[in-house]
Amino acid sequence: MNLIDIYITEVGKHLPKKTRLDIQEEIRSALQDMLEDRSQQTGRPVDDDLTVEVLKEYGSPEKVAASYLPERYLIGPRLYPAFLKTVQIALPIIGALALIGLGISLGKVNLSAENWFETILQAIAEFFNSAIIVLGNIVLIFAILEFALPNLKEKPKAWDPRSLAKISPPDRVTLAEPIAAIILNFAAIVIFNFYPQVIGASFVAGEGWTFTRLLSQAFFRYVPVLTLLWTLKIVLNFLLLRLGQWQTGTRWFSLGLQGLEVGVAYAMLKGPSLVALTAQEFSAASPIQPEAARILVELMNQAVTWVLIIVIVFGIVEMVKTVIRLLGKKTPAVLVQEK
Amino acid sequence: MANSELYENVILELRRGVIVLAVLSQLDQEQYGYSLLKLLSDQGLAVDQGTLYPLLRRLESQGLLQSNWRLEEARPRRYYVISQEGRQLLPRLKQEWANIVAMMEKVMN
Repeated sequence: MNLIDIYITEVGKHLPKKTRLDIQEEIRSALQDMLEDRSQQTGRPVDDDLTVEVLKEYGSPEKVAASYLPERYLIGPRLYPAFLKTVQIALPIIGALALIGLGISLGKVNLSAENWFETILQAIAEFFNSAIIVLGNIVLIFAILEFALPNLKEKPKAWDPRSLAKISPPDRVTLAEPIAAIILNFAAIVIFNFYPQVIGASFVAGEGWTFTRLLSQAFFRYVPVLTLLWTLKIVLNFLLLRLGQWQTGTRWFSLGLQGLEVGVAYAMLKGPSLVALTAQEFSAASPIQPEAARILVELMNQAVTWVLIIVIVFGIVEMVKTVIRLLGKKTPAVLVQEK
Repeated sequence: MANSELYENVILELRRGVIVLAVLSQLDQEQYGYSLLKLLSDQGLAVDQGTLYPLLRRLESQGLLQSNWRLEEARPRRYYVISQEGRQLLPRLKQEWANIVAMMEKVMN
């Protein structure tokens, strides 16, 4: 195999199958023309030295192959601002959760200096571990969106600025909101279905670390219906991305999901406790005193109750807003969220 | 050095816009890639091979050029020629070029 064959084979490795042979043949033909012309101009024979000279001039195989390919993106310029915004929201949340976890772990009595150091290191390691997993998932979701939303790659259609007035502010859909919703719902599906063991707390007790699950079996009975809810929310947000605005159909769809969400939250509120951790277990698994453990567990249960109440109240408010918009009445100014 | 690099980049940008018109205007008669390169170069427009060959393929995919492989001097060569659609577009592009030149004359003077 001579140098030109090796070079052309190398270029072909970076080209799509569909056009590879054709482009390779064209490059071969161009190189032969170049060699012949250079040989005639300089009076040198067509040997390896001249071939090397011509190939160097022609460019590296990667560069030549790239010149035949369109620009390709994992996350293109249209989605990049939303990607950046999502990362800017997600990373501080992970950081805040890591700090809360660290604060709880450090707030123990009888924690030695060595354990303090170990706890801080563990928190830093967990932060980086979580950050990498979350970033990886965000990149994956945006890459899927980039691939699945071809209309985002197309040139913008001719538009009239006056057409914007036809979409009232509550009907307008920004790019960031559906994307953030898709990512959060996807993350919830993955975590609660595949990694439920990560929802818990680690404590330094005695010689080593102990891990305690926070959520009870009662909570995990709701996971199938929650997964259905999250999946439908992903579908709704994909539709919003495609349509670019709220329409009657998507409003009804959303109303149904809001109703389901309120219903599930109400069932959780009325059902058995969602917190698995008891004061006894908490105290046994950590250096926390029994009384302090009782208060912390009580606070945890109250926090879950309040979260469910907030979900129900906000859900009902959202349902009322949706019904008002569906009925075509002007939304009370107090309920319209400025965008 | 930085100024020289900047100058080269600006020149490259300026030329990039005219290559399509130059190529279309030279392909009234069939040319293979290298002969077109030489033809343009002889008239003072040096075009990089990495720019020309992909451009020829793009213009062909847009329907402005046609190509066919031909066995010549014991090796295949791909010949390009302007298509009917390209012929219709070329006078308008030339007119637009003349307008741009006139406009830039005004702007710069």
